[in-house]
Amino acid sequence: MTENIQIAQQNIYKPAIMKIVDRHDEAPGVRTMRLEFQNPADHELFKKTFRTGMFGLYGVYGEGESTFCVASPETRNEYIECTFRQSGRVTSALANADIGDLVTFRGPYGNRFPIEEFHGKNLLFISGGIALPPTRSVIWSCLDQREKFGKVTIVYGARTVADLVYKHELEEWEKRTDVDLVLTVDPGGESPDWKHRVGFVPTVLEEAAPSPDNCIAVICGPPIMIKFTLISLKKLGFDEANVYTTLENRMKCGVGKCGRCNVGSVYVCKEGPVFTAAEVSRMPAADL
Amino acid sequence: MTRILFSDKLDNCVAKWRSAGLAVIGPVQEEAISRYAAVEKGTDFDFGTVLPDRSLKELFFPQTEPMLRYTIKKNEIDTADFTPPQGKRIIFGARACDASGLEIDDPLFGWDYKDEFWFQRRNESVIVTIACTKADDFCMCTSLKLEPDSTKGADVLLRPIDKNKGWLVEELTDRGREAFALISEYLQESSEPALPTVVVPEKFNLDACVTWLKNPENFESKFWKEISMRCIGCASCTYLCPTCHCFDIQDEGDTYSGIRRKNWDSCSFALFTMHTSGHNPRSTQSARWRQRIMHKFNYFPGKFTVNSCSGCGRCSRQCPVDMGITETLQAISNL
Amino acid sequence: MITQERYRTTVKELLANGSIKMAIGYKPGSTPDRRRPLFIRTSEEAEQLVLDSTCVQNLSGYLVSEGLLSDEKRVGIFLRPEGVRSINILAAEYQLNADQIVIFGFDSTGREVRPLDGRSAREFSGLLNELKEKPLQIYKEPLLERIEKMNAKERFDFWQEEFSRCIKCYACRQACPMCYCRRCIVDSNQPQWVNTSSHTLGNFEWNIVRAFHLSGRCVQCGNCDRACPVNIPLRLINQRMANEVLDGFDHFAGLSATQEPVLASFKKDDTETFIL
Repeated sequence: MTENIQIAQQNIYKPAIMKIVDRHDEAPGVRTMRLEFQNPADHELFKKTFRTGMFGLYGVYGEGESTFCVASPETRNEYIECTFRQSGRVTSALANADIGDLVTFRGPYGNRFPIEEFHGKNLLFISGGIALPPTRSVIWSCLDQREKFGKVTIVYGARTVADLVYKHELEEWEKRTDVDLVLTVDPGGESPDWKHRVGFVPTVLEEAAPSPDNCIAVICGPPIMIKFTLISLKKLGFDEANVYTTLENRMKCGVGKCGRCNVGSVYVCKEGPVFTAAEVSRMPAADL
Repeated sequence: MTRILFSDKLDNCVAKWRSAGLAVIGPVQEEAISRYAAVEKGTDFDFGTVLPDRSLKELFFPQTEPMLRYTIKKNEIDTADFTPPQGKRIIFGARACDASGLEIDDPLFGWDYKDEFWFQRRNESVIVTIACTKADDFCMCTSLKLEPDSTKGADVLLRPIDKNKGWLVEELTDRGREAFALISEYLQESSEPALPTVVVPEKFNLDACVTWLKNPENFESKFWKEISMRCIGCASCTYLCPTCHCFDIQDEGDTYSGIRRKNWDSCSFALFTMHTSGHNPRSTQSARWRQRIMHKFNYFPGKFTVNSCSGCGRCSRQCPVDMGITETLQAISNL
Repeated sequence: MITQERYRTTVKELLANGSIKMAIGYKPGSTPDRRRPLFIRTSEEAEQLVLDSTCVQNLSGYLVSEGLLSDEKRVGIFLRPEGVRSINILAAEYQLNADQIVIFGFDSTGREVRPLDGRSAREFSGLLNELKEKPLQIYKEPLLERIEKMNAKERFDFWQEEFSRCIKCYACRQACPMCYCRRCIVDSNQPQWVNTSSHTLGNFEWNIVRAFHLSGRCVQCGNCDRACPVNIPLRLINQRMANEVLDGFDHFAGLSATQEPVLASFKKDDTETFIL
C-alpha cells in the first residue's frame, strides 16, 4: 500500500505559500477553502505528486499547522480544497482568513487510494459528518472518469440536516442518474422538509444492502461510525481487503519523524493515511 | 604495534584540531551536571564520569531549534530557512552507548524525507568513542547486545591504557583517519596493552522480551498497568535518552514575524496524542509507557532493524520514581 | 525496623477488614539507597513495605491521579509532616476529601525513623502548628549563602544561568502534589500564555510561572528538586516564596483542610507592600 514520494527540498519543514481564492461555509463551524499556489515550482511538484487520499499540513504563521486531507480530487489539481471544522488554534486562524489572504501548505504527504485497482468495479462510498471531505476527493476522482467504474453508491449521514457538508454537491449527485445517493440524518436531526432517510449510517447501509460482488467500499467517519459500519459491511458480505478507510491522527511533521501518529508499528503519516480494513484490524484497537 | 595518544599530548591535539577549524567537544563536568560541551584545552575534559548526565543526542537534535523565520507583509509572506550551524567538529570522548544512539536514529531522520538539521551535523562531526573501563548499576549496553567498546556510530575508537596515561587508537572510518592525521605527530607507536573494558552484566533477556512484546495478546496485558503505576508522566526519561527523537513544531512570534521551531516532545505527555476533538488514543499513563517500550523494542526495529535503545541506562538513573527500561524488561523476562 | 514492622501489620489489618482498599508506601529501589513508591493491595504486597530515613518522596500526588478516589473508598498513605500538609491543601482546594485518606505518619531524625500519632489529617493539627512556629529551614548550604550575598542583578543572572539548563521535561510539575491541573497553563495554547520552547527565555517563563502558582501552596517536600534531571536548585525558589508568604500574610500552607488559599483570599489587614 505504501508509495513514498521524494521531496527534493533542503528544509523539509518549509511550507508552500497559498492564496485563498474562494471559501464558503458548509455547516456550522465547518468551512471549505480553495487555495492556489503562489510559487509555480511548488505547484508543479504538487501536480506531480498529489494523488487522492494524501493529506497536508495547513498553516498560519504565528499559530502553527494543522493536518487534514486534500479534499479536492487528483483530477483537479490546479488548486487545493480543504474542509475543516474550526476547533483549535490553527483552524480558528484559518477560519479568520479572508479571500486573498495567504496561508501555508506542506505536503502532499502519505499514501493514496489505489484508484487504478478500482477500475471496472462497483464503488460504495460511506461517510459520516465532517469525514466526507476525504471521501469526496475519491468520489470526484472517480466521477471525473466515470466510464472506468461500475455502479457508484454514496451513503452519507450526519447528525442533523445542518451538519451535512457539500450540500450543493449532494444535490448534484442526487440528480445524476449514474450515482445512487443515500442520505440520512440521526434520529431527531431531521428538518420538517427532510425527504431522505432518518437513522444511523450502519442501519441505513444495511437497509440499502449494496452487493459486495466486485465492489470496493471506501468508508470515512468518526471512530464509532467506522466501528459499527465495518460490522455491517461484514454482514453484507464485504471482504476486509476490499474496504478502504483513512485514519486521522494528530501529526506535527507529516514525514515520519515526530513520532505522534504511531498506531502500533504504523506511522500513519507515511504508511497511511489510507488503509484497508484488513490492515486496520491488525493494528492495536486500543491505540486507535 | 598500535599507536597511542598520550594524555599529556591532549592539549596539543585540541589546539591542533582547533587551528584546523574543528570545534572540539567532549565530556565536561560543570558545577551542576556533566554533559558534552565545547572544550578549549585538554584539562577541560572530564573522562572520569561513567557517563555524562546529558546525552550526545542534543548536539545533533537540540531541545529547541529554529527551522524557519517568517515575515508577513501585505499580500506577501517571506519564509527564510534556518540552516543548522555549519562547521566541522570533533567529539572526543563519546561513550559507546551515546555514539550508537546517533547511528540508531540515522534511518529515522533519513527515511524518504531527509532531515537536514540532523544530517548536516552528522556529516560534519567526527565521533571519537572511548571504551568504558567503568560502569555503574544502571549501565545495560550488554543487555542490548552492544558492548562498552562498541564501534557503532564511531569514527575512531580509543582504548584507555593504565593510569590515565592515554589511549590506544583504532581508526575506523575515513573521517576518523582524516581527523587523526591532523594530530599524527602526537601519536606514538607502542606495545602497551589496553585496559580491559568493564564487564557489564546482562540484566534481561532481550530476545525473550521482544518475543513477548510481539505477541499481540500481550498488548492488553494487565502487566502494563502494574509496571507503570508509579509513572508520574514527566519526560526526563525521553529527554535524556540518546535515541528518543519525538518532537513538536511551534511558532513563536506574532502575525507579522516570528520563528518556527522544532522542540523536543515526549510520548509520556498526555497531550502528545490528544486530538482536537478531545479523543486521546493513549489516554492513560500505562498506555503511554507501553508505547515507549513497544516503540523502542518492537515497532522501531520492525521498521529500521535496530532497537531504539543503546543501553545507556539514563532513563532509570534519572527517573524521579525509580522506573526505567531495565526494570520493565527485567519484569518481562521474568514473566 | 520496629516502626516498619508495626506499620506492615497495621496495613495488613486495615486491608483485611476493608477499612482501606489500598495503601501507598515505599519499597526497595534499584540501588540500596533508592526507594520507590509501592501500591499495597494485598498482604503479600505489604511484605515489601520499607520505611526508613531514605523514604523521602512525598507520595500524596498519587491520590489525585487517574480516578483513584472516585469510588469513595478509603486509601492509606505513608506521609511525612509535609505530606500531611499536602493532603490539607488538596482538601482545601477541593481535590480530595480528607476523610477518605488514612494517614500512616512518620518522620526521621538522622537514620532513626519514628511513627507519628494520628490517622486522619486533622489529628495532625497540633504537630503542624508546631512546625509553623519553627518552619523547616533549608540547610545553610554554600549555594544559599552565595545567593543571599548577591544583588538583584547578580541574582537574576544566577537564575538565568540555572534555567538555561532546563529541558522542559516537566518532571518538577509531574512530581509536585500541588500540580494537579488537568490542563497546565503551559499546555494551553489559546492563548499561548507560556512559550513552550526550551530556550532560556521560555525556561525562565516556565519556572517563574510555576513558582508563582506554588506561592502559599508549597510545603517544601523537595519532590521537584529531587526530580529535576538537570539539578536546578528548585527548592531554593519555592522555599523563598514560602517564606515570603509566611512573613507577609502569616500563612503556613497546609495547616488544615479548611485553610483558605492565600492567593485566592483577601483580608482587610493584608499587607500590601508588594504593590508598588
